[in-house]
Amino acid sequence: MSDIAIKTVNLTKRYSGLWSKQPVDAVKNLNLEVHRGEIFGFLGPNGAGKTTTIKVLLGIIYPTEGEAYVLGQPAGDPKNHYKISYLPENPYFYDYMTGREILTFYAKLFGIGEPERSKRVNELLDRVGLSRAADQPLRTYSKGMQQRIGLAQCLINDPELLILDEPTAGLDPIAHIDIRDMILDLRNQGKTLFISSHQLSDVERVCDRVAILNRGVMVQLGRIEELLAGGHVEVIADKVPDNAVEPIRQLGGKVSLHDGRLIVEQPDNGSVDRVIDIVRAAGGHIISVKPYRRTLEDLFVETIQGGKTA
Amino acid sequence: MNATFAIAGATFGEAVRKRILMVILLIALLIILISPAFEPFAAGRGARTLIISFGFGVIQLAGTFIAIIMCTGMIPTEIERRTIYTILSKPVQRYQFVLGKFFGAVGTLGFMYLMMGIVFLIASRMALGSFDPAIIRGLLMFFFQSSLLAAVVLFFSTFVSPLVNYFLSGGVFLMGNLLSSFLETIQRNPEVTPLTRIPVQLLTVILPNFANFNVQNPIINPEQVLTDETAYLVQTLAYAVVYIALLLVASMLIFNQREM
Repeated sequence: MSDIAIKTVNLTKRYSGLWSKQPVDAVKNLNLEVHRGEIFGFLGPNGAGKTTTIKVLLGIIYPTEGEAYVLGQPAGDPKNHYKISYLPENPYFYDYMTGREILTFYAKLFGIGEPERSKRVNELLDRVGLSRAADQPLRTYSKGMQQRIGLAQCLINDPELLILDEPTAGLDPIAHIDIRDMILDLRNQGKTLFISSHQLSDVERVCDRVAILNRGVMVQLGRIEELLAGGHVEVIADKVPDNAVEPIRQLGGKVSLHDGRLIVEQPDNGSVDRVIDIVRAAGGHIISVKPYRRTLEDLFVETIQGGKTA
Repeated sequence: MNATFAIAGATFGEAVRKRILMVILLIALLIILISPAFEPFAAGRGARTLIISFGFGVIQLAGTFIAIIMCTGMIPTEIERRTIYTILSKPVQRYQFVLGKFFGAVGTLGFMYLMMGIVFLIASRMALGSFDPAIIRGLLMFFFQSSLLAAVVLFFSTFVSPLVNYFLSGGVFLMGNLLSSFLETIQRNPEVTPLTRIPVQLLTVILPNFANFNVQNPIINPEQVLTDETAYLVQTLAYAVVYIALLLVASMLIFNQREM
C-alpha cells in the first residue's frame, strides 16, 4: 500500500464562460502529495482554488490538465468512495429527518444492511455526543450539532481519508474545541485528514503539514514547525544611554526608539541575553521581555499580501 | 439499487413536506369535495358531466403544478445547498442520483394522485350514487401525464436554472397539449404550405404528446366511443414509459458531464 493518500500532478482546472473572453485558471499546475496518517491543512484566501481542488479529488468536476490520484486510484473512481468521506462547508442535510434517520440514509448509500447499519448509527451518534438528540429533526439542531452530524455522516463508512471543508467555521468556542478534538482523535486512529480552513489557529494546532494556495497557485508547502520558524523576542528598555544603542544594534536585531523607550526585536534567545546585559551595564531599565512566536496567521498574511507566487 | 431507493425515499420525504405542494393538494381536495355543490350550474349537461369534468380538470391542474414546482429545483437546489456533494462523494453514481430523484418525484405524484383519487371517488359516489370505473382509468392517465411532465422538468433541471425551467417546462407542456390538434387542423387545410406544416410535424414528433392523456371527453361524453379502450390505454401508457425512459437517459448523460 502506497504511503501517499492524495497526489496531484500538474493539476489545472480552467473555466471559460460562454461570454467571457479570458479563461480563468481556478487551479494551476498543482503538485501536491498528502501522506497517509497525516492531517494536512489546505489554506488560501477565498477564490484561491481550494474547493475546486477538493471537487476534482472527489470527481465532482474534472481536471482540464494534469492528474489527480486519491488512495492510489484516479480521482473520482467510484470504488474509492467506499474509503473516503467529505464534509462540505455549511452543508444542508434533509432537515425533516432526525439525526438517526440522516445517518441511516447515508449508511444506505454505502449499502450497509441491518443489523450492522443500526449498530454503526448508534455508535456514531454516541461518538459525536448526539445520542440524546438522535430522534429530534435536524431543523431543531444548533449549528454545532449540525456540524457534528456532518462529521458523523463522514464516519459512517469508517473511511481511510476524510476531506473536510471548513469543519469549524461558525461554531461557538465549545463546539469548536469538540470538533477539533474529534479531528485529533481521528488522526490517532490512523486516518488521513485533508482540511480546508480559514481558522488558522485550528490548522496550526492540529495539522502536520500545510499548503497555501493563492490565485490557484501553490505558494507555500511544508511542515508547520518549519514554516513557522523565525519568531523573535521583543525587549523594551527605558533610560538607555545613546552610547549603548550601537552595540545593541550590532547584535543584529531590529532597534527602534518610541517615546524615549528602546524597542529591540531579537531573532534568537541567545542575543536577547546580550541585549539585557548591555542595557543593564549602561544603567538602563528593562521594562519587558516578550517572546513572539511566528503564527500561521503571520505566515498566511505575509504570503498572500506579499503576493508570493510559485 | 440501494442508493437509488434511498435517494428516492429522501426525495419523497422532502417533497411531501413542502408547504406549497401541500397547499396545492389541499385546495384541490377541497374543490373536488365540494364539486357536487356546483350541480345547479350544469346548465342541462347533467350532474355526471359536471362532477367528472370538474374533478378531472382540478386533478390535472394540480398534478401539473405539483410536477413542475416539485421538479424544477430538484437538482439545482441540491447543488446550491451542497447536499449533493455529500451524496456523490459516497459510492453513488450520477445516474443513480437522477433515477432516485425521478422515482422520488413519481412516488410523490403517486401519493398526491391517490389522495385526490380517493376524494374524487367519494365525492362522485355521493353525488352520482355509484362508482364509475372510468374515473380510475382517467386518474391513471393523468398520473402518467404528470410523471411524463416530471421527467421533462427533471431533464431541464440538469442544465438550466429553476426560473428558466418553469418557462421551458410550462411551454413544452402547453405545446405538447396543443400541437397534435393544431397539426390535424393544418393538415386538413390544403392552403397550408409544407414550409409551415413540416416544422409543426417535426415538433409534434419531438415534443411529448400530452394531449393523448386527456381522456376526459370520452368519459364525460359516452357518445364519443373509443374503438378499443384497453388498446388505447396500453398504447398511451407505453408511450409515456418509453418517452420517460428516453428523457431519463438524456438527463443522465447530461448530468454525467455536468460540473457542479
